[in-house]
Amino acid sequence: MTRIRSGAGLAIAAILFAACSGSTATPAPASQAPASAAAPSGAAPSTAPSAAAGTPKDGGSLVVAIPGDISSTDSAFIQDSNSSTVSNQVIEGLVATKPGTTGEIVPALAKSWTVSPDGLTYTFTLQDGVKFHDGTDFNADAVCYNYNRWNNFTGALASPDYSYYYAAVFGGYGKDSNLASCTATSPTEVAIVLKHPYSSFLLSQTITSFGINSPTALKALDADNPDPTKSGYNTGAKGAMVGTGPFMFKEYTANDHITVVKNPNYWNKAGVAHLDTVIFKPISDQTATLNALQSGDIQLAMNLNPTDLSTVQADTKLQAIDRGESCNLFHLGMNETHKPFDNEKIREAVAYAINKQALIDTFYGGQAKAAITWMPAGGLYAKDEALPEYNVDKAKALIAESGVPADQLTFDFWYPSNVSRPYMPDPKGIFQAISSDLEAVGFTPNPQTKPWKEGYLKEEATGKYPMWLIGWTCDWAGPDNFLDTAFFNYQGGKPSPEFAYTNDALNKTMKDAEAATDDATAKTLWEKAQDMIRADMPTVPIVNSTPPAAAAAFVKGFVGSGNLTEILNSVWLDQ
Amino acid sequence: MIKYIVRRLLGAIPVLFGLSIILFAFIHLLPGDPAATILGQHARPELVDAMRHRLGLDLPLWQQYLNYVGDLLHGDLGRSFVNNRSVVDDFFVRFPGTVELTLAALAFAVGLGIPMGRWAARKPQSFSDGFITVVSLVGVSIPIFVLGLSLQYVFAVQLHILPASGRIDPRLQVPYTTNFLLIDTLLAGRPDAFVDSLRHLVLPAIALGSIPLAIITRITRASVLDVTHEDYVRTARAKGLTEKRVDGRHIMRNAWLPVVTVIGLQVGGLLAGAVITETVFAWNGVGKWVVEAIEAHDYFVIQSSILIFALIFLLVNLVVDIGYAFLNPRIRYS
Repeated sequence: MTRIRSGAGLAIAAILFAACSGSTATPAPASQAPASAAAPSGAAPSTAPSAAAGTPKDGGSLVVAIPGDISSTDSAFIQDSNSSTVSNQVIEGLVATKPGTTGEIVPALAKSWTVSPDGLTYTFTLQDGVKFHDGTDFNADAVCYNYNRWNNFTGALASPDYSYYYAAVFGGYGKDSNLASCTATSPTEVAIVLKHPYSSFLLSQTITSFGINSPTALKALDADNPDPTKSGYNTGAKGAMVGTGPFMFKEYTANDHITVVKNPNYWNKAGVAHLDTVIFKPISDQTATLNALQSGDIQLAMNLNPTDLSTVQADTKLQAIDRGESCNLFHLGMNETHKPFDNEKIREAVAYAINKQALIDTFYGGQAKAAITWMPAGGLYAKDEALPEYNVDKAKALIAESGVPADQLTFDFWYPSNVSRPYMPDPKGIFQAISSDLEAVGFTPNPQTKPWKEGYLKEEATGKYPMWLIGWTCDWAGPDNFLDTAFFNYQGGKPSPEFAYTNDALNKTMKDAEAATDDATAKTLWEKAQDMIRADMPTVPIVNSTPPAAAAAFVKGFVGSGNLTEILNSVWLDQ
Repeated sequence: MIKYIVRRLLGAIPVLFGLSIILFAFIHLLPGDPAATILGQHARPELVDAMRHRLGLDLPLWQQYLNYVGDLLHGDLGRSFVNNRSVVDDFFVRFPGTVELTLAALAFAVGLGIPMGRWAARKPQSFSDGFITVVSLVGVSIPIFVLGLSLQYVFAVQLHILPASGRIDPRLQVPYTTNFLLIDTLLAGRPDAFVDSLRHLVLPAIALGSIPLAIITRITRASVLDVTHEDYVRTARAKGLTEKRVDGRHIMRNAWLPVVTVIGLQVGGLLAGAVITETVFAWNGVGKWVVEAIEAHDYFVIQSSILIFALIFLLVNLVVDIGYAFLNPRIRYS
């Protein structure tokens, strides 16, 4: 099962820090200003380019392969991409990311919103006349029921194996939470008040865990049972997963399939699903997935091994699906407590030594782009840092300038085994390619490996490796999720031991950026943070990849998104 | 007979107990930490500690083992670390899938292996004997996952005559009641779905049954050849009995014993092979579940499902031993 979550609990620290630093009243952020002019397109990717070909036909069933079974049917507890793929069809949040993008926020159940000048109060105006799949009215009370439910979690429900993302975004529960209140100011208006400003708040609310479920259904299936295994709402019982989305949950058979059916009464008429039924089927083996696609057992594979792309492209009955913008970063880790990486010129030399295009061509089937900064290029506030391009001479010159003698250019270089990540499809192959690039400029890397789950992650996180392969898949495509949470955060006033990258000014800039109450300030600060990182080159960003999907040729209208939040209402079958 | 069965069942207790200790030790020797695995990349140390505490992994090993055995004795096989579901409940949801697949593979291996063995024994050293020997050697030597993927490629991807994966086309939407799909489809009055689930069984059953097929063929051939040269067979022929009667009453009746023993032993191999077959064919059974549990370090799922497998294996062998008595009246248990 592919985990997508991060240790994003660090957002808590960010928020607390922000509180201490204080923030002045400023105008509402531009990107979070009223958006009532925009079409309610959160779940209706009807304008997408691939949907334009031909006139959509209604009806039919689609079998979709996902790489593993779902872990929960209660969106508040969902942390893995398999469960969120299913939940996103059924449950909607107040806001969403625009289909085909990773960081563009569009209205969903909220048709518009305003943010108070102090960045604390978010007032959402809700869509009118929406009903949950069970007939319950969707209104401001339902929204607050959900927010208050999450905030009141205790015991097992408040543990990171359940409501991880609530704690990660809000910093905790009850009095520890950054949620001050949720108030239904009218049936169609809700005010969510924070204790401290958080500039990525809206973006964070687009993830699956903040989907609005029917209060009636939550109560009926005992969703708040202190033992979530006894809650039918969490375990996929009949009547679970009741939202407002274009599909309705029908049934779940563990490890076998999950069925959702068309919601003919979907509130967004432009987004009513074409398909009658969508069945998700877990297939973990990637070769078996390709075989199932070729034999017609499945019609859409959400995950495809990039090396199988050429097979799919050569088969006229199949199509490869480009997901467009990436939502991840693969970079080469270097730890500054290990020699020679304490030397800035050496780190810069490494950046010049790596032939990124060769890696993209060989290992990603072309489904990746050279990284331009320490986050996905399409993410909020990403800045092109004009990173070093492949230049052997320049790398050699920098090594000479560094003054590090040739016999000290030897170090352990680690890669993980037993793993394939969207940003790192073939760790060993990538390792070999980078190693030979490094050798070509005069480094002597010693190959070292450990299984991903059995030691690698733990050892790299505690700073044991001088150089290693690592990356990050977004929770949301904000800079805080990459630069701070995933990479260069401070823990207890010290830099995280992973990279041992000391830069107090950067840390302060990131905290200020997270607490910014207007878009312009946040943008300036996040760009400044990226400039500061660029100046030090603590790691070498390599690629942003877009994990490919594949489908039968007659499957039309699928709009791929790099953050894998695709909703299948726009899909139709041309047969 | 009853005494014998009771004695055998009591004898299984120390075996299972010993196995539980070995399993527990091996599983805890596996590198990696379930708490860190559940939390994924960048699990902060305090979150990992909290999770370890919640899962009871911060207790000393002996205490964890005693807790586990204590729960076992109360019929509680634990809960999955990954989704917190009861291991027993999940086991029995998946078990019918494995039983269906195993029985189909066994039917394939026995149904084809015994006639092939008999046929080969009829004319030793002939072309047909050589051919069958080669087929069975190939059957034993191809790894299941290679055979499985090849069968998928030829029959599903290229020829499109059989499905590549799963137990049934989910679009048929048959309600699962017993989780034995061949039964559920009939209960639902859906012959089309019954045929579809049979078609889904073919390739995985062949992949899983290939090794037992080879072994059963070889044993049948050897066993029939052994008996053919016995004096009583010659006598029977000299008495003027028809060849059919000689074959049925004198040869096969005596050749059965080693064959039945081997079939019983194959059940263990089939359960082990199901682990790979189910993964390759996305077959929702216990085997695929165990593989996923091992990847996730889901201790209770691994321990308890292997224990249940062991119990099943012991029971099958008991049934085989009892079967001897019926096949060979000279064997009596007391």
